[in-house]
Amino acid sequence: MKNFEYFEPTTLAEASRLFAQEHAQLLAGGTDLVIGMKAYTETPQSVISLQKIPDLAGITTDADNSITIGTMTKVREVELSKDIQQYHTALAEGASEIGSIQIRNLATIGGNIAHASPAADTVAGLLVADAQVNIIGADDERTVPINELFTGPGQTVLKPGEIITQFHLPSPASGSHYIKHKIREVMDLAFIGVASAVNLQNGVIKDARIGLAAVAPTPIRATEAENLLKGKIPTPELLQQAGEAAAAATSPISDLRCSAEHRKEMVDVLTRRTLQYALDRATR
Amino acid sequence: MSEYSVVGQKLPRVDAVEKVTGAAQYGADVHPAGMLYGKIVRSQHAHANILSIDTSEAEKLPGVRAIITQDDVPSGRRVFATDKVLYLGEPLAAVAATDPDIAEEAAELIKIEYEVLPVVQDVMESIKPSAPRLHGDATKDGPNRRNINAEIKKLADEVDSNSDEIRELEAELEKYADEVYYNISAESHTEAGDVEKGFAESDIVVEDTYFIPRVHQTYMEPHVSVASADSSGKITVWASTQGPFAIRSGIAGTLGIPLTQINVIGTTMGGGFGGRFGVIITHVPAVLLSQKSGRPVRVQMTREEEFLDGRPAPGCVIKLKTGATKDGHILARQALAFWDSGSVSGASIGSTIRVRGVYKIPNIKIDAYGVHTNKSGTAAYRAPGAPQAIFAGESQLDDIAEQIGMDPVKFRLMNMREEGDSVPAGGSEPKVGYKETLEAVADAAGWWDREANDNQGWGVAVGDWTNGCGPGGVYVSVHEDGSARIFHGSMDITGTDTAITQIIAEILTIPYANVTIRRGDTDSAPYSTGSGGSVVTFTMGNTAKLAAEDARRRILELAAERLNTNADDLELRDGAVHIITADPPKSISLGELAAYSLSTTGGPIVGKGSFARQPSTPALAAQIAKVEVDPDTGRTRVLKLVASQDVGFAINPMAVEGQIEGGTVQGYAWAMMEEMQYGENGNINPGFVDYRVPTSADLPTVESVIVEVPAPNGPYGAKGVGEPPITPTLATMANAVRDAIGVRITELPIKPEKVVEALKNNGHGA
Repeated sequence: MKNFEYFEPTTLAEASRLFAQEHAQLLAGGTDLVIGMKAYTETPQSVISLQKIPDLAGITTDADNSITIGTMTKVREVELSKDIQQYHTALAEGASEIGSIQIRNLATIGGNIAHASPAADTVAGLLVADAQVNIIGADDERTVPINELFTGPGQTVLKPGEIITQFHLPSPASGSHYIKHKIREVMDLAFIGVASAVNLQNGVIKDARIGLAAVAPTPIRATEAENLLKGKIPTPELLQQAGEAAAAATSPISDLRCSAEHRKEMVDVLTRRTLQYALDRATR
Repeated sequence: MSEYSVVGQKLPRVDAVEKVTGAAQYGADVHPAGMLYGKIVRSQHAHANILSIDTSEAEKLPGVRAIITQDDVPSGRRVFATDKVLYLGEPLAAVAATDPDIAEEAAELIKIEYEVLPVVQDVMESIKPSAPRLHGDATKDGPNRRNINAEIKKLADEVDSNSDEIRELEAELEKYADEVYYNISAESHTEAGDVEKGFAESDIVVEDTYFIPRVHQTYMEPHVSVASADSSGKITVWASTQGPFAIRSGIAGTLGIPLTQINVIGTTMGGGFGGRFGVIITHVPAVLLSQKSGRPVRVQMTREEEFLDGRPAPGCVIKLKTGATKDGHILARQALAFWDSGSVSGASIGSTIRVRGVYKIPNIKIDAYGVHTNKSGTAAYRAPGAPQAIFAGESQLDDIAEQIGMDPVKFRLMNMREEGDSVPAGGSEPKVGYKETLEAVADAAGWWDREANDNQGWGVAVGDWTNGCGPGGVYVSVHEDGSARIFHGSMDITGTDTAITQIIAEILTIPYANVTIRRGDTDSAPYSTGSGGSVVTFTMGNTAKLAAEDARRRILELAAERLNTNADDLELRDGAVHIITADPPKSISLGELAAYSLSTTGGPIVGKGSFARQPSTPALAAQIAKVEVDPDTGRTRVLKLVASQDVGFAINPMAVEGQIEGGTVQGYAWAMMEEMQYGENGNINPGFVDYRVPTSADLPTVESVIVEVPAPNGPYGAKGVGEPPITPTLATMANAVRDAIGVRITELPIKPEKVVEALKNNGHGA
């Protein structure tokens, strides 16, 4: 790898100041950055580790069952958290799809999101959890809804020096599910990823959220499909309509993994499937 | 009860502990004092003229100790491209520096000017007249075109070149323009009987085109070599290779260095599968860099370089046609195959003949061509060419069985050759367990009472392969403590050292743990053939047997002397020599004999074995898969995979099972996920993110079934076991998917998208 300067700040303010410099990169778990540096696709002049800053990791559940996940929380912890498994099943399932267990023990949820890959496995689960992203900059703090965080592949609204600190998951859905379309059973990248979450009240869908990964330049919510479902009693026909509406909301590319057409078709199939799983969970 | 006590036993491998503890020395563990790090400078284009190579900036970089291009190859043999590159990643130069990062930086500083040329990656495009020619006008026309031209020339010599006769001939030849192929690197034609007659007599004729992708051997250890040229000109190469002696002669030939000026030390191999015989990939650049810098140099490929400039297995397109009677007799088979040999010749086109399988097919015609494309050259991969050809052959057999309403296993059993049948290559069929092996897998898998469940399918296929044979030498010494030490020069490949050790322990009647084995380098060890082509246990097993028997002769001679009796009255058993008829029993241990030997005229106990050639016997692998296909997502799950193999005799059944499992899994991967993909500028998936190899989560445990029909010339009847298990699996998987979804997929790998497409074309879904 190319030479670089390495920093281990102990405060977020210091980290933010260093990160505001040109050609600086944050080091969280390192599972993307270090590989990129070894392959010379990432050539930062300074690398700023977040490891020495206290209180950036951990999962806390409040009395109202809202959950806060620190940015440096290992993906493996997200996967195994009983509260996330119960209230945000899709997110726990997404976390369990990342790389190998060894990778998940290193990778952080903040890194998975800040890397802004449209195919990130935790992103669909965060979308359907309606996650709020807490961000700190040199001078101020702000909160951005997860569906407004991404602007393009590898691109976010984060300004120079801004660092994601937390993900806040406000209202747990009554059931959610994530499916990753892939070839290999484990350690594959998502051809597409679909998460659905539903709240059921007396057999009627109170609200539904559908998060889609790897089907557009950024991860997206399928809002038209969500609106179709709201206030309705779930039927196979309704789920089919939702699947079709979700597919229509996408603008996938064709690449070496599969064609755009296949991605669209799979959005349709997997939206129906994840909704059905989420509904089953909600009625359990 | 086995009549043997050591061979035929599931004993742990001799190298198990060093592998598990990490003590084994791989190429990258070699680090002589003062070693430099080499880096190969590679083409950024798949097809381009080289206008200039400027190394001046790189030379100025501190830490750079040597830069070489083709100008530094005294023999002139092509090591680096000079005027033209033919694939992305083709070597153009190499640097050696004191640090890998400096070498990397220096490589970037070498300025290369290209004139980019049109690229051709698809064999079916490459054979067209419109395709760019890789080798210029010299091979503008393929060999078959040359034959036609030769005809014209011959006539022209006889008659006036402007005559009507010539014009008529040219007009006649125009009609065959479609059969004239371009960018041809090699061709192979075989014919027996009369296929046209065979098809005419057939009730059913099935025809299809099969597409098999190029795949990489994906051994765990990338290519690596460390070379050290000393001041006297002596060259030492630590090489990760399947064949140190082949590397020695390869380096000698390429660089014009006397053979014995080169010592090749084979390092523990991190997998080979046929892909680790290359000489110029890393070994020759390392030697040249060491000669120029005067320091030891390591050249080690990254995984990306492996994909760009390894020598993978060729992909191919096979048009296959089969005719059969409605009562199930195969009458004729015809194949036209185009093998993607990349930038050079060398694809295993001769293996197209394996579409014949182990069946009685009276009429056969094979036309096979190697075709140039803008890719790296190819090399062997576990039964080179067989999985591709057998995929086509065994897929089509199932379609015929389906059409005539016959069980696929019974259909195969009915058509299999039997002992005494005439064989394609001449002579008659030896005793091979073709039917036994297929019946064994059918029984073990529960084929006969399989249920038909929705979206589930069962597939069967068989593949044949015959192990190679080559020269080898083994010494065995018996020491004063009664132990034995083996010395030889062949690279251990998945347990062959273990098999050799078992054979020698068996003959000397001493415990397996008391026999140790050491591999020498090419300076010290007797010549040994490369560890490929399933040769090692067959060849070195026979060699080891000869060495042990030689040692036993000396042991009995010494015992007769010591016990004052005739050698005929003696028996070697349990590590001692006994007088057969003595009462009370009288014996002398091997240790005592070894100690005694040191003061005899005849000297120490050293057995020598030397062996080169004996006819091999074919082996058969038969497999059955049960799969479940999700018709909406196209994903396939393997529920059961059973593999049987006629191994002749399993010297170490545990190692044999390992071979069967490994080969089957590689075949599964080729069928379902592996594929080197190429875009406009070369390979686009040079890494394990998008070149998928399976993990243990993708498959259930492969159930292995060992069938033993002894090979007349194998040690204890053993046949080579490494290659056969990969040969049928591509077809096994395709046939299982076909059974599950009712649609034939002829293009590998069977990715989810292809399944969804196939079902859609067949009227499934919305």
